[in-house]
Amino acid sequence: MTALLAVRQVSRTLVDPEPVSLLRDVSLVVERGEFVAIVGPSGCGKSSLLYLLGLLDRPTTGSVTIDGEATDDLSEAQRTHLRLARIGFVFQFHFLLPELTALGNVALPMRRAGVGRAQAEARAGELLAKLGIAGEGWKRPDRMSGGQRQRVAIARALANDPVLILGDEPTGNLDSVNSTRVVEEFRRLAHEEGRGVVCVTHDREVADAADRRIHMLDGRIERED
Amino acid sequence: MGGLLTLADIALAHLIVRVRQTIVATLGVAVGVGFFLAVSGMMVGSENDFVRTLIDSAPHIIVRDEQRTGARQPALDAWPGGAVEVRGIKPEEEVRGLKDWPAMLADARALPGAIAAPSLSGAVTVRFAGRTEPVALNGIDPRLEGKLAKIEVSLVGGRLADLEARPDGIIVTRPLADRVGAKLGDTLLVASSAGVTQRMRILALVEPDAIAGFYAGDNTAYGLLRTAQVLFARPNVVNQLHVKLADPDAADATAARLEGRWGYKWESWQERSRDLLNLLVARKVVLYAVMSAILLVASFGIYTGVSSSVADKRRDIAILRAMGFTEQDVQSIFLIEGMVVGAIGAMAGFALGTALLEAIARAPLTVQGKPLVLPLDRSAQQYMIAGAACMGAALVAAWLPARRAALVDPVDILRGAA
Repeated sequence: MTALLAVRQVSRTLVDPEPVSLLRDVSLVVERGEFVAIVGPSGCGKSSLLYLLGLLDRPTTGSVTIDGEATDDLSEAQRTHLRLARIGFVFQFHFLLPELTALGNVALPMRRAGVGRAQAEARAGELLAKLGIAGEGWKRPDRMSGGQRQRVAIARALANDPVLILGDEPTGNLDSVNSTRVVEEFRRLAHEEGRGVVCVTHDREVADAADRRIHMLDGRIERED
Repeated sequence: MGGLLTLADIALAHLIVRVRQTIVATLGVAVGVGFFLAVSGMMVGSENDFVRTLIDSAPHIIVRDEQRTGARQPALDAWPGGAVEVRGIKPEEEVRGLKDWPAMLADARALPGAIAAPSLSGAVTVRFAGRTEPVALNGIDPRLEGKLAKIEVSLVGGRLADLEARPDGIIVTRPLADRVGAKLGDTLLVASSAGVTQRMRILALVEPDAIAGFYAGDNTAYGLLRTAQVLFARPNVVNQLHVKLADPDAADATAARLEGRWGYKWESWQERSRDLLNLLVARKVVLYAVMSAILLVASFGIYTGVSSSVADKRRDIAILRAMGFTEQDVQSIFLIEGMVVGAIGAMAGFALGTALLEAIARAPLTVQGKPLVLPLDRSAQQYMIAGAACMGAALVAAWLPARRAALVDPVDILRGAA
């Protein structure tokens, strides 16, 4: 069986205004049902690696394969479609669209994928219920607590039933109670639902809860434990 | 379709959140469209009225006893390719008048819905109480001529048909009558260049102020065709045919076709009014240039609104891209914003324009003490032009910032936000 995510000897260099090497010769494999944390000091390339995994950026050299599909030669439209169907993002700041309700935010990726509004909102309701915020669906993000917003963001990431969840400091803006809840949810998504979860984090609790920790330094993988 | 609805939902949500900017931009478009309709309604209305007058006030085609080019010399036909140049030609004295005019008249009348009438026109002098005036006398068939051109409405004191009962009757313009001191019912002494003199009684006066169309001039008069033939000593001769067509716009083509068949000059109303029609085209170009400028200014509101929306929503754009929305999706969201403002603005502009046109129509305007009714064009075509121009301007105005939004690099934004 192929790995869910395979990164082979990836480098990423910015050339403008002057050359900066963000990632150097990074290789990484994530299996289904695995919760992986990427840790390291600020500026070590954690987020840059995450954006490559999420197909938001292209490596300068090396390859990224997701669910058996090589992404290097895909067009921007194909990469976007792959992202829509198989990848879910959770960011440090919930990044919900402020004009839409929680239901509207969660339904958005489904609607973009062609699901009708009623069906998308019904499934969005189920996801919110699963995350313990069933009653908050009609609220806008500014009327919700930080923990609720982040759970809405997780529900949005799960909307199209992706195989890979990517978290960029998902607990960085939460108190300890909500942080624990999010970590537990990530573990459940990996271990019970068989998804791959990759989190960039500074949070020791997240790192400790992960199955594997990848330590990065100066754009390279320093070690793994 | 579902995807487009989703994008439309996001666009509408953006507009609702920025309600003040949306209203300002919409009002700008509405004012632009409203004034577009009001001004073009007046300009096009007056132009249509003017053209209608051009068409109605005179025959659609006038056939004259003249040709556009000189007669071809028989020598050129006798030695085709041999005769290079014919010199020393002494032109033959031509007998004026349309030859074979009954056949031409029948041909013109054979056109669907056409009315045609013969006429003999020439110069005469009119004398009354010792005063003499040169006059262009038109010998006409009153029954037919009344259907050909709107002379009847400008007559005072009598009707065109009165000429039939009085072969010695004449209709002159009021200014001419004033100049010679004559009144309705007076008898004028009319003399032609053929040396024939006849006493003619004034049966009606042409009132210049009442003329809906072109005023042929003070020194124009109308008499019976038979009387004119006697005065000019040219029995059974006519030198003009007047034709009215069912479709005035076909006059140019019809005249060209019949001129090719008969050789005489068949002059359409478009040809007679070529300079005026060209002037109207230039006027229309200026009108639409000014109107486009108004809409362009209105579209700045859309540009500003969508631009600031793009600037405010850079983070949301990055999130949408991360979620799986394409560049095209992002561009469409902001294009929809511009188009929605354009569409609502156009609708409001239609209401404003209709109200302005109504106000103009009801305005108590007078010219020389007489009420003036402005001819206005309130046709659906004007609304369609204004709507299309507005939506075009909205599309262009929204496209620039929308394109900028599509080119936002989500990584740059997310990296900055982290």
